Amino acid sequence: MNAKQVQKFVQAYCDSTGCHIIEKSPGRVTVKLSPDADRALTNRPYYWSFVDRTGSPPDTLTYSWFFEAPSAQDGQSSPLSYLMTPAGRIIQEGVYFGSRRLQQLFDVVRQGGRCVTLFEEPSRGMGDPLSSQPYTAWLGANFKVSFTCDMRREELHTYGISLATGVIDDKFMDRLRGRKLTPRLPANVHLLRNGLSLRKGMTQLESTMERKLKNADFAWAAEAEERRQDELARIGQYYEPLLKTEDEAQRKLFLDRFEQRQAEIDWQYRPRVTLTTINCGIFHLPGIH
Amino acid sequence: MQSFEPALEPDFAENSVEQQSLSSAQEHQTDQLATSAPLGSATTFIDPNPRKLHPLVELHIDRGVFEELDRRAQRNGPWDDWTLYQMALEAEETELVTDFHDLQCVKLLPCFEPLPHQVETARKVLQDMRGRAILADEVGLGKTIEAGLILKEYLIRGLVKRALILVPASLVLQWVRELNSKFDIPAVAQKKEYSWNNDIVVASMDTAKREPNRAMLLDAEFDMLIVDEAHKLKNKRTSNYQFVNELRKKYCLLLTATPVQNDLSELYNLITLLKPGQLGGEGDFASNFVRDRRVPKNEEKLQEALSQVMIRNRRSDGGVHFTERHVTNVPLRLSPEEMALYEGVTAYVRTHAKAETGMDLTSMLSLVTLQREVCSSRDAVFLTLINLFKKTGEESPLRARIWELVALIKSIKSNTKAQKTMELVRSIDDKVIVFTEYRATQDYLLKFFKEHGLSAVPYRGGMNRGKKDWMMDLFRKRAQVMVATEAGGEGINLQFCNHIINFDLPWNPMRVEQRIGRVHRLGQSKDVRIFNLCTLGTIEEHIVHLLHEKINMFELVIGELDEIIQQLEKEEPLERRIAQMVLESADGDELRRRMDGFGEKLLGGKQRAEQETQR
Repeated sequence: MNAKQVQKFVQAYCDSTGCHIIEKSPGRVTVKLSPDADRALTNRPYYWSFVDRTGSPPDTLTYSWFFEAPSAQDGQSSPLSYLMTPAGRIIQEGVYFGSRRLQQLFDVVRQGGRCVTLFEEPSRGMGDPLSSQPYTAWLGANFKVSFTCDMRREELHTYGISLATGVIDDKFMDRLRGRKLTPRLPANVHLLRNGLSLRKGMTQLESTMERKLKNADFAWAAEAEERRQDELARIGQYYEPLLKTEDEAQRKLFLDRFEQRQAEIDWQYRPRVTLTTINCGIFHLPGIH
Repeated sequence: MQSFEPALEPDFAENSVEQQSLSSAQEHQTDQLATSAPLGSATTFIDPNPRKLHPLVELHIDRGVFEELDRRAQRNGPWDDWTLYQMALEAEETELVTDFHDLQCVKLLPCFEPLPHQVETARKVLQDMRGRAILADEVGLGKTIEAGLILKEYLIRGLVKRALILVPASLVLQWVRELNSKFDIPAVAQKKEYSWNNDIVVASMDTAKREPNRAMLLDAEFDMLIVDEAHKLKNKRTSNYQFVNELRKKYCLLLTATPVQNDLSELYNLITLLKPGQLGGEGDFASNFVRDRRVPKNEEKLQEALSQVMIRNRRSDGGVHFTERHVTNVPLRLSPEEMALYEGVTAYVRTHAKAETGMDLTSMLSLVTLQREVCSSRDAVFLTLINLFKKTGEESPLRARIWELVALIKSIKSNTKAQKTMELVRSIDDKVIVFTEYRATQDYLLKFFKEHGLSAVPYRGGMNRGKKDWMMDLFRKRAQVMVATEAGGEGINLQFCNHIINFDLPWNPMRVEQRIGRVHRLGQSKDVRIFNLCTLGTIEEHIVHLLHEKINMFELVIGELDEIIQQLEKEEPLERRIAQMVLESADGDELRRRMDGFGEKLLGGKQRAEQETQR
């Protein structure tokens, strides 16, 4: 992410959480947080529990964020600094790829953008005001697949399934791109009866993913398994002679240690794939699919 | 908004069985998570009934978010924002690790640029060594940085969540600071019981192995364990070794500049801690690789076995640029009063040493200390004399002599060295660290500088960590001069300053090197200038002669000295040897001859060290 992309990201966050932008220039934005954003970003649980309990009007923090990363000469991340103005204190802070604030924003949007239900807005002035347009419900899910052994690789997949017919779209986010979506049910629209439950839809998406993953290249896993066996053999040749000791207490100790080492190796090398849903939602789109 | 709900309703009945089994599976899963990973390990995610994707690979499905969607759908909300939904995906895309091997961490560290050998080391550890390695770079090449890079990489890849970093107590805060400021890794220092709840904790080995911490840590699982100064684990029978051996860990880094100090078996123990069996069983190792305690055999094979678990970068490999050192000796003549005191003390020391032939080494040392103190300041010697006076029996004829010396002190009105230092500081016109061995001298200098309108801050071993940090900060931002008594106790890095004045010199070259090392290290961009104050006609002159002219220590490469000294100190501490020479020599000439002889020996040690390095 370069400075421009970061700024766009931050701007989008501020807009969608209703923050008040005080000043904006290329490379910098000064913003008074909305209560929601303040709760999410400033780590002031005591202050907010005070506000909640006393009902006093909240006073949110003002940040001045700049998006240029500090140069390598500085040798460390840019510290906070404060600017006192007649309107109050402004906290100046760098937001760039690798900074904590951006990391926190990533975490916050992941937390705050998990489940949605949306309708596409029909284009205005179209159609007969008395007729009704059919809408299909889709279950959209964004998956992250992690291929893990002692190292890890990840993939993202954005799938969607029509709950009416069971049709699957493996580029569902592309299908949504450019559409105007709203949380309200538009007028002159009727929803098709669903043939699939949400849960069934999800199960189908998962099995589709599973089929797809089965065809993936598993050379990495074979290599990891080889390493695992290698490591197991190595500790085997170390511990097995030790286990021949006569001393029972000693033997028990070595056996414990041996098993512990085996477990560690398993933990480190055993190849596995994890399918995680990042977020998912119900999308009502026009047409019968 | 409500109208979609009936549309979903009819299906719930027919799916209720499946739904039930799924949700019970879900519960089961959370149970397992709770018991198997009480501390929240990153990779102990367990699916109760994983499916096989491949004979070797299980598929684990995390359905958490979908369950939430389902719950919310049944209650008809609340729903999240569409923009945030898209941004969440964007965040994931940005942080996605698309390759098994490419180092991700470097692009996430915009504010600092690791050196090529550090990045290469990190890459090797991750790729070839699978995260278990001994980092054995020579001093000053940045082992901490390498460990930080490796930790960061695993954190980014989500392979490490919980990490434990065990270091000597004096380094805890320095580690935390480095990880925080350079790597943006949220590490915390272990201070209170609750500090352990953090994911990444830096603790001292001694604290960690003490109950109740010990039991708690042994119960936990660590995705990564880092042990700094790992040569302290060389002995199998120590509690340190056993503690680290018992800890449950996935990735593990051991950091040491001296993997072998005395004995090859030390190396064997370290490696066994990391990868048991790498060098075979204990007997195999002794018969395959050891000729003599320090001399290996089958070297190629040993090197090969070592290279799979250990990385040792050397300064001589190049690639790392250190700035130069310029040393200036500043010869001084003591004022007549000061010289009178020096001579008085010397005479006292001589007669005293002769009078009591059966004297033990410790009191001999303290006598020589008197001489050294006179060379520093009258304040330093005054205190020692008073203490000596108190200790001496009332009847002793020595009392009167000591009192005479005290009288001599009173006659001294000015400090030649301090004035010279003042001149130097003025002419340097930049940040300067003044090192002295003695507290009394330090106090005197601070007072002296203050009277002359120079801003100076103290720094000494006895200060607590917070105060030390504060002093460093003051020195960086406000004061021109820092007067320090202690250079050891690592943790002061003063790369922003490139002038050192040695007000007096320690007798142990290692400590001189430590002083210089505070300033002359990676990150110092300017040449370092060192001034040694040297009072003519005193033992100080001899010491400067030994250190500077004879072994030329000031211009040795960083770290070269470690090896020399280590070779020598196996027999006897250096200071004692020098003290003995001073006491036993009849006059200056003899002392000089003996010093020269000693210097030769040191140089011989250096050559031996070089030979060993080349092997």
